[in-house]
Amino acid sequence: MVMTYPLSASFLPLPLAVLLLGGGTLPLIGLLAEKTGLRRLKELWAIAFSTLNLISIYLLYQELRASPGRVIVSSLLGSPPLAGCFEIDTLGVYMAGCVALLGFLSVVYSYHYMEEESRLTEFYTLVLLMMAGMTGVALAGDFFTLFVFWEMMAISSYVLVAFLKHRWAPIEAGFKYLIMSATGSAFLLLSMSLLYGLTGTLNFAYLSASLRGAAPTPWLLLLLSALLIGFGVKAAIVPLHTWLPDAHPEAPSPISALLSGVVIETGLYAMTRIFYLIFHPDLFGVMMAALALITMTFANILALLQDDIKRMLAYSSIAQMGYMLIGVSTGTAYGIMGTLLHVLNHSLMKGLAFLAAGNIVYETGTRDIRKLVGVGRRMPYTVFSLFVALLGLGGIPSTNGFISKFILFSSAIGAGMPLLAVAGVLNSALSMAYYLRVLKTLVSTPEEEIEAGEPPLPMLAVTLFMALLIILLGVYPSPAIRYASAASRALVLRLESYMEAVMGG
Amino acid sequence: MNALIPYLVSVFLLLLIGLGCLMVKRDMIRMLIGLEILFNAANLNFVALSLGRAGFADPLGQSIVMMAIVLDGCVVAVGLAMALNAYKHYGTLDVRKLRRLRW
Repeated sequence: MVMTYPLSASFLPLPLAVLLLGGGTLPLIGLLAEKTGLRRLKELWAIAFSTLNLISIYLLYQELRASPGRVIVSSLLGSPPLAGCFEIDTLGVYMAGCVALLGFLSVVYSYHYMEEESRLTEFYTLVLLMMAGMTGVALAGDFFTLFVFWEMMAISSYVLVAFLKHRWAPIEAGFKYLIMSATGSAFLLLSMSLLYGLTGTLNFAYLSASLRGAAPTPWLLLLLSALLIGFGVKAAIVPLHTWLPDAHPEAPSPISALLSGVVIETGLYAMTRIFYLIFHPDLFGVMMAALALITMTFANILALLQDDIKRMLAYSSIAQMGYMLIGVSTGTAYGIMGTLLHVLNHSLMKGLAFLAAGNIVYETGTRDIRKLVGVGRRMPYTVFSLFVALLGLGGIPSTNGFISKFILFSSAIGAGMPLLAVAGVLNSALSMAYYLRVLKTLVSTPEEEIEAGEPPLPMLAVTLFMALLIILLGVYPSPAIRYASAASRALVLRLESYMEAVMGG
Repeated sequence: MNALIPYLVSVFLLLLIGLGCLMVKRDMIRMLIGLEILFNAANLNFVALSLGRAGFADPLGQSIVMMAIVLDGCVVAVGLAMALNAYKHYGTLDVRKLRRLRW
């Protein structure tokens, strides 16, 4: 059932076209803003284009909802196996939707947060291009298209991490991030060349048709390990995670929210999609389970030792990646649904946690938890939203984190790995130790008078809105569950119809 | 397949050299060179495998290498810009001096 894509004349998917247009024209708008004196024009331009991105994702969603098994193929030149193309299915739109939502909120938040910084034109251009890169990875139907957008996302994020270049820490963290992440990209390119050598194509559907179910040869195992290194660096799986606790806290807060909320999830998404397309789940299930166990335990223990609030949140992101890997390791549609739901929930919770921490940093100028005693009494709304985010990350019922963790752990039991579920529950309990420490510090009686108040209204509005979404998805999760389950079935159970849709025409 | 073996051996050697360069070298510019060697190992693999296919050079593999070279260039350019900024802060390119971040 191949259908050409009516909204954009089968050239570029609409969200991607919107973001690339926005990012491409922003330098000109920035110049215009300087000339005419309308200084906030570039911010408004970025907000407008991220809103348009949200709307176009919604249009795509409406188009796909009518028939669940449908795949929209839009190719640059020629037909799928030869040319680079996009294959848009439910799963891709789900991921692109997460990116669009958090991207929009972060851009709105940046309007006030980044006000004092210079080089704002570059900042918003890079943010839009980073979002375009993630959307492209989500919608790609071809390994090479994926790689191009992958590098687009990666290069923008290197620059954004080192954006505050007048201080030493961002530069150092950015260089470390660049070296590690680019090594991962090189391994990705190597695994692409192996795939190309084995099959002669890079299109997902054709790769899946020729490799899935093949007996594991040494070449295939080499391919598996190269892919794991390539994606694992970006997804911060534990032996490859060391860049994350440096890079994420040193970026400006809205960028930390984007990096922790969606960039590492994009790495996980790409890994999940490609592994499920190429390999049988039996081949990597046990390995993923072991990695999940190591990732969450190691990161939770290290997070206990941190005094820097943003660094603690970065370690907590690694731990959450461990929970998401549980779902990948089960190999069932139910487990993948848990992973996808946790991707959405984590993007909201960790995004909110970093933005609320950003509010505190903006007002007090410090990230050291020990110096933040009693700040909660000065900025109750910010600290309330931080409470909601941290309780959600710990998995307290009535927040959305509980729902997705429950699904993840029960899927591990269903797949015959009760040990993994027990380890997950114990890790959640352990993680509450450092979340509650932050909460206790923020509300206890201050030793000396603190000069801080609530941040400007737009920043506060974004954090409160996200806290509302977290509680809303916690007490009424069925729409999110329904869509995540459709997306996971598209990946696990509808592989044949995916191949048919692409290759049939 | 036998004609491919010299290429595959060189790819493997380039991988080892690149990884070794990243692990052993302490100079930021040399680390970036190691990164470039790693990317080139993958590119060489692409070109070699595109030659072995169907008796003629497959344009898909070759065109991908062209794009990949551009992307590597971008990464290294960003890396060099960071090295420049690091030099302004520290007055050195030695990564052992850049150990102010904790674990």
